[in-house]
Amino acid sequence: MKSGSNLEKVLESGQFAVTAEAGPPKGTSPKVIQRKGELLKLCCDALNVTDNQTAIVRMSSLSGCVLLKELGVEPVLQMVVRDRNRLALQSDILGAAALGIRNVLCLSGDHQKFGNHPTAKGVYDIDSMQFIQMVKAMRDEHKFINGEEISGDVPFFIGAAANPFADPFEFRVTRLAKKVNAGADFIQTQGIFDVPKFVRWMEMVRDRGLHEKTHIIAGLIPMKSVGMARYMRNNVPGLSVPKELVDRMADAKDPKEEGVKICIEAIEQLTEVEGVHGVHIMAVAWEDIVPRIVEEAGLMPRPVV
Amino acid sequence: MITLEGKKVEEIEKMIKGHSRLLVLGCETCAAMSFAGGERQVKELSSAIRMARKKSGEEREVLEDAIARQCDPEFVDLIGDKVAGCDAVLSLACGAGVQLVAERFPDMVVLPGCNTTFLGVTEELGVWSERCAGCGNCILDKTAGLCPIARCSKQLLNGPCGGSMNGKCEISKEVDCVWQMIIDRLTRLDRLEMLEEIFPVKDWSPAGHGGPRKMIREDLKS
Amino acid sequence: MTRNNDSMEVDYPPCRSACPIQTDVREYVQLVAERRYEEAFVSIRKLNPLPRVCGRICTHPCEAACKRGQVEEPIAIAALKRFAADGHWEREHKAIEPDKSTGHKVAVVGSGPAGLAAAHDLALLGHQVTILEALPVLGGMLRVGVPEYRLPKDVVDKEIKTIVDLGIEVKTGVRIGKEMKLADLFEQGYKAVFVAIGAHKDRKLGIAGEEDLEGVASAVSFLRQVNQGESPEVGKKVAVIGGGNTAIDSARSAVRLGAEEVHIIYRRTSDEMPAAKEEIEEAAHEGVQISYLTSPIEILGQDGKISALKCVKNELGEPDASGRRSPKPVEGSEFTIDVDMVIAAIGQAPDSSSVAEEVGVTERRKRIIVDGPYTLVTTQPGVFAGGDAVTGPATVVEAISAGKRAALSIDLYLRGESLPTIESADAVKTAKLSSTLIEKTGKFARCKKVSLPMDQRLKGFDEVESVLSEDLATKEALRCLHCYLGARVDHDKCVSCLTCLRVCPLGIPVTSKMGEITIDPFACQACGMCALECPVQAIDISLDPRSEIARDIEDGIHRAQHSGPVIIAFFDLHGNFGSSHVESLKQNYPNIVPVMVFGLRRIDTSDILKAFEWGADGVLLAACQPDADPFPKGTDRVKRRVAHAGALLEALGMYRGRLEICDMPEQGLVDTELIHGLIQRIRESGQTRPE
Repeated sequence: MKSGSNLEKVLESGQFAVTAEAGPPKGTSPKVIQRKGELLKLCCDALNVTDNQTAIVRMSSLSGCVLLKELGVEPVLQMVVRDRNRLALQSDILGAAALGIRNVLCLSGDHQKFGNHPTAKGVYDIDSMQFIQMVKAMRDEHKFINGEEISGDVPFFIGAAANPFADPFEFRVTRLAKKVNAGADFIQTQGIFDVPKFVRWMEMVRDRGLHEKTHIIAGLIPMKSVGMARYMRNNVPGLSVPKELVDRMADAKDPKEEGVKICIEAIEQLTEVEGVHGVHIMAVAWEDIVPRIVEEAGLMPRPVV
Repeated sequence: MITLEGKKVEEIEKMIKGHSRLLVLGCETCAAMSFAGGERQVKELSSAIRMARKKSGEEREVLEDAIARQCDPEFVDLIGDKVAGCDAVLSLACGAGVQLVAERFPDMVVLPGCNTTFLGVTEELGVWSERCAGCGNCILDKTAGLCPIARCSKQLLNGPCGGSMNGKCEISKEVDCVWQMIIDRLTRLDRLEMLEEIFPVKDWSPAGHGGPRKMIREDLKS
Repeated sequence: MTRNNDSMEVDYPPCRSACPIQTDVREYVQLVAERRYEEAFVSIRKLNPLPRVCGRICTHPCEAACKRGQVEEPIAIAALKRFAADGHWEREHKAIEPDKSTGHKVAVVGSGPAGLAAAHDLALLGHQVTILEALPVLGGMLRVGVPEYRLPKDVVDKEIKTIVDLGIEVKTGVRIGKEMKLADLFEQGYKAVFVAIGAHKDRKLGIAGEEDLEGVASAVSFLRQVNQGESPEVGKKVAVIGGGNTAIDSARSAVRLGAEEVHIIYRRTSDEMPAAKEEIEEAAHEGVQISYLTSPIEILGQDGKISALKCVKNELGEPDASGRRSPKPVEGSEFTIDVDMVIAAIGQAPDSSSVAEEVGVTERRKRIIVDGPYTLVTTQPGVFAGGDAVTGPATVVEAISAGKRAALSIDLYLRGESLPTIESADAVKTAKLSSTLIEKTGKFARCKKVSLPMDQRLKGFDEVESVLSEDLATKEALRCLHCYLGARVDHDKCVSCLTCLRVCPLGIPVTSKMGEITIDPFACQACGMCALECPVQAIDISLDPRSEIARDIEDGIHRAQHSGPVIIAFFDLHGNFGSSHVESLKQNYPNIVPVMVFGLRRIDTSDILKAFEWGADGVLLAACQPDADPFPKGTDRVKRRVAHAGALLEALGMYRGRLEICDMPEQGLVDTELIHGLIQRIRESGQTRPE
């Protein structure tokens, strides 16, 4: 075991994993994370705490992870390179390890222009690829990025993001391979709406044997309304929402129900795809719906390993 | 070239308040080529300032001049007499030029009339775009002649990120994703395999993160 | 003076180079375009004492050389000269005063264009001139050779009067060689003599029947009779032998005098025919039948009168001394045409027997011998000669040129100074424009001639061609490409930014690898865009120079009257307006300062700001109709600049509505409503000087 985390155990045992997302508040109350943790405790194997998602300042992911751990929920620490240089990143990794956090997701981060502090200086001292490499070296070689020795273990299950729908399509798998070579133990993809396109991507992934070197967890975003569907289709970079789905949401008598239905349909298809080892449900501002989705997709109860 | 933009006249007005004898000093290299600070703009801006004065009733004299470059002391020193006769200099040069003028005339109030923007190329008359971040360690051999430090919004060395769509950067449809361009060009040159290797972390010190930069050539110094 | 930087001129434009008297064609054409017609006339009159004559009958070598001819057709330079000269006849020349009297007397023998030009210039130089003319009228061939339908008598007479009014003594009915010899003139106190007796003796055909049959006329005497109002009899069927202008003059006169059939018999083809193309065309329109490659061999008669002309067809063989291929009769191609009159117009020679004892003349053609075409000294000291008498039949402007040269020569001679040796320069050929440049040049057709309809023409000798209307003349003058008035780069200031290269609508500036910019001064059409856009102002332009525009704005503001808000109004000369519109604008709105420019594209943001800075209350730019604009992209740029200037005004807290750009109306300078609106808005903004 690289980290001994629950997520690692579930995946390594060959079982289909479920992860979800919990967004921290734009404030100081611990209750927000605590509530989400309680809600999702039983329906996922690990819970990601987002890091200033879409460049909007929120309570830090690290503190969110600590709050989850206190509840007995396994956190995944998301870290973006947009806001910290290599000193801060390494420092926080050491701290997270000390606090018992065992899963980390290494990300670039949405550009600060999208957020609520668009005039801020973006750091980008190292990129996500180099970040993955860095954490692996800390874990496996006990070395800082400058080559100095680290005292103590840095037992992390290292994750990276992948976006099968970004361009250039052909290069995405090469990039995935790079991340795997850098040390990515698991991959959480961007929300999938165009399942056939994702399936094509998985073919390319399997052609390179990457499905055997890393655990691919397919991302899903349940839609609440046709407005949300449209917004995601038109405004969010990296999301590919087919028009048929927007139309389904538009025509639906009960859009929320339709959204749930679409999500569950996708899960059912994805469980059949070779190389997909789990789903990651990102119910942004709709965490309440996750237990039901997991239940109705037939993924309950979650394994105890 | 260094590209510049003229500051808005309202901002300039605020800056020059209270200075009754003003020298508007143009620079005939980058500033002129950016149509922000050459003789032509000196004329236009000086007229505008004089008119504003008349309107506000403020006493003001506006002198005009331009030199080849404000980043070389020999040129700056040539206008010493003219500067001495004024109580403020509005320099239309890039930040480097403005500072050199201030340095050569430390008793003079020196104000910037332009905003220095980037190191770039002319795409066509009236259109310039950024190309170089002056990072001090050129990697263009590895990226098919396209610079990710200057042209990637996140300065990724192992790009593209997940936000690249249709060849455009996530921040705007007007901005090309340089990593898409790098991939395209390496493909064209049949060298795409160069991107299989992970680009190591960058040493940012020559890019200015090691402190203000200075370059000395011992073989050239007097 | 025009807004030109003459001191910067390096090359003469092709029109001036081609003109035998080096007329500054470019200057007067520009003045016509600027609606400054009186000044245009003054410009012409500076060098040419016979502008109304030349405007009608000059062979205009300037037009053949004109660069515009490579685009569509040359500028109608002669027609513009006539426009400027005909219109302002009365008001001209109180201006020129002769120099202080030198006390020298000079005799001018002959009052044709050579003699008149010499007399005019000598009088201006202060000499006491007497013209001695054999005929009872002055003017030489102008008066007794060229028919009135081309050159009316009163035009010639009025023009001659102006010359004579300089204080020149005139003696008509005096023939040198008969009553007086040249030597006698010196005894009478003349210090120098200019012999300009022209070439008034027709060559004989040298064929059988010429001498003895009735109905054979010499063209010169025929035309003299016509021009002196003697209405000579013409036959029903007339054959004119020859191919020069005299032949055409004779033929067209014969038509008017009632001939039913008029033939011109010419021995070579139309390519070699020396008459002016326009004349040949008009003759054909008027029904004259031209037989090429035909020579007369015998005049046949009956009862002592002409009945027919026997001719032979020719083919062209080897070139002769004149360089033209010589005609060779084709065996067995003889034919006869019925005619009852034959006019011989195969060339004229000077009637120099009268002076041949005193000055040298050539053996065959009896032309007076001179030492060189510039100094014009004959074999007799103090005697000079020029014009057709020396060269054989040539053109009016060449005769004027000879007269002017003679005046200079004589003046030097009278001062006791030596005459310079001037080498003849070869005629400069106009360089060729590239086809890309021609393609990019906006096309504007040459104005059409305005001629009397056929039925009105042939009734008499009324002048066939009319003077151009103001509208046609200004549009024609605006076609000029302003040779050598274009952009010049100051290489010390140039920073090789390549802006001039990028804005030029014709792609003229080129850069070397090292950034040295070359602008071909011959190709450049002086549009002014590079001079304006250059960010370091390293380019000077000689047409509407930037410094002159600034000066016009400043002067205008000082002179403007404050009967209303002072408005600087830039008007594009390509608009559809005349001098009367300009006058009425000045009268009705003395608060408006019109600044005329060859295209609004010459107006920069700083010009607009300067206008306000120097005290204007408003600025107006009036653009011409797009189809009249030779550089529409330039006008588009100025519209964007005006928007930028407006934004600047607003940022400075000034009322933006003081600045306006508008389109000129279909006719005139500006819509009255628009002007009133602008004035009203400016007043209401409360931002004017006291009125």
